[in-house]
Amino acid sequence: MEPLRPIDNAVNDDRPAARPGADETPLYEVRDVTKKYGSFIALNKMNFRIKPREVVGLLGDNGAGKSTLVKMISGINPPTSGEIFVGGKKTSIRNRADSEAAGIETIYQDIALVDSMSITRNIFMGREITDRFGFMEHKKMRDMAVEILGSAVQISGIDDPDKEVGFLSGGQKQAVAIARAVHFKRNILLLDEPTSALSVRETEHLLAYVRDLKADGTSSVLVTHNLYHAFMVCDRFVVMSHGTKVFEADKKDTTIEELTDHVIRT
Amino acid sequence: MTISQADHIRKAIAERSNRPFIVKVGDWVRDKPEGGIAVMFILVQLACIIGSLLFPDVFRYLLPANISVVLKSIAVPGIMALGVGILMISGEFDLSVGAQYSLLSIICAEVSNSFMGDISADPASSLAPFMGMIFALALGVLIGMVHAFITLRFNIPSFITTLGGMLFWKGMTLLVHGSSALRFKPSEPFATLFGGEVGIVHASMIWFILFAVIFYFFLHHHRIGNHLFAVGGNRNAAVAIGINPVRTKTIAFALAGFMAAFSGIVAATRVGSIQPGGGLGMELQTIAACVIGGFALNGGRGSILGVVLGTALVFTIQDVLLLLRAPAFYFDMFVGGLIVVAVVMNSAIRRARA
Repeated sequence: MEPLRPIDNAVNDDRPAARPGADETPLYEVRDVTKKYGSFIALNKMNFRIKPREVVGLLGDNGAGKSTLVKMISGINPPTSGEIFVGGKKTSIRNRADSEAAGIETIYQDIALVDSMSITRNIFMGREITDRFGFMEHKKMRDMAVEILGSAVQISGIDDPDKEVGFLSGGQKQAVAIARAVHFKRNILLLDEPTSALSVRETEHLLAYVRDLKADGTSSVLVTHNLYHAFMVCDRFVVMSHGTKVFEADKKDTTIEELTDHVIRT
Repeated sequence: MTISQADHIRKAIAERSNRPFIVKVGDWVRDKPEGGIAVMFILVQLACIIGSLLFPDVFRYLLPANISVVLKSIAVPGIMALGVGILMISGEFDLSVGAQYSLLSIICAEVSNSFMGDISADPASSLAPFMGMIFALALGVLIGMVHAFITLRFNIPSFITTLGGMLFWKGMTLLVHGSSALRFKPSEPFATLFGGEVGIVHASMIWFILFAVIFYFFLHHHRIGNHLFAVGGNRNAAVAIGINPVRTKTIAFALAGFMAAFSGIVAATRVGSIQPGGGLGMELQTIAACVIGGFALNGGRGSILGVVLGTALVFTIQDVLLLLRAPAFYFDMFVGGLIVVAVVMNSAIRRARA
């Protein structure tokens, strides 16, 4: 990787801090966020927003800072500096509980599932349905898990919610993670390289599902290497390089060729 | 299409719940790590019973006196193993439970004795042994939390923290009390509560069963138990989903310390005196019992039934070897072999299913 240097050719970055009435209030917005790991700058004065009912494609080559941004939005990797606005209100998102309160769900690249636990327990991990003493209501969770598995994505070959996740294939695991995120999401769904382990058919289902979610009013951020997938579902594209935004365009104003060019060149 | 998928799963579940009972048992034995050990436990018991019926004069396994001894020898390490097992599920070890066992039972006895808790004191205080016990249990929780703090704050392996702890608390035992044996004959009702007997069943066994039931509901049915599995199975996933690994693991360390103290006190009450080096080696015995019961060394896998069966199997075998008048080293050799066989069996089963 080449040494890090500030990039000043960010497009569309002279936006005023607030534009009342000029546009819809973004569901979510980060302004000038920086994330440092020691002396390494993973995000450099990044600006990013998610509007209601849109699918944003977050593109860029390896090491561009896409995953860092996703982890920041999902709360597990708070920024070093900068501001976060949820629904137009300045908000502090420092951990997973904060982002959950903001209605954000994430499907991680490295599939956040526990192999030694059952599908049901993975789906409700950290969000167990319990009585008031904290004891889990297994039957309720199991019945809901069946519904979730049946409704979200077509998952080939899963017929037992009590099965250990470790026995599932890569695609099946990813599908469980997607089903979980889709079930719990309220405003924003982040998808970090969600199609890497999926078959062609499963990928089609997932992309169609992201479009359905938009129709139901849920915005998504799709992080991907695959520009064709991105072009199939996204309304707007943001290209990152070296921790900052280098290109941003609506779908109607750009082409796959132009996007490819920006990903490769920067 | 979406409806049919859920219905398909429901149909599959219904088909599975309609399996004949014998098939369900077979699947359980095949699928669960504790299933294999349950079979082994039953086979060992059957062999012992048949042996004692065939050779009643040589092999006195079924004598009430022997059954009483077996139950006693299972109970104390079993109580300790429950705490050790919960900690293992969360992905950590405690090598210092044996040292804590000695130290905390001595502290309990010292406190009790100095407040006239000895049964021959005049007047004997009935409250003093309980005071000693509560103090020792609280110390056990505190020691566990200190181990947790050091391990998690400085992000070092708990193997190292508690290896240090083992030596430290062993030294502390000698500092507090010296190397002589300590008398612990507590007053009533403490003596009956922790050292009495119902028929051939010693109080320690009743406490073991009671704790096993409590821990079963805690580990397998409570939210925090679920978090223990999550944190031990895949820490990053647990964090990503919003579980606090520090809090969860601290609870597990504290429980391990609590159970070490409790097992030490129960053993001291039963024997009536405490040897400062009495707990040495128990940390490895209890980890062995958990591993035999299907626990994974790197966390996330295990069950209370596994702890109970693992402990019961190990100490049944100890008893059988004693009955056969075999020298003590056979026990170590046998347990050593059993650990390896159990783990090989479990991973072979997992590979076959994957």
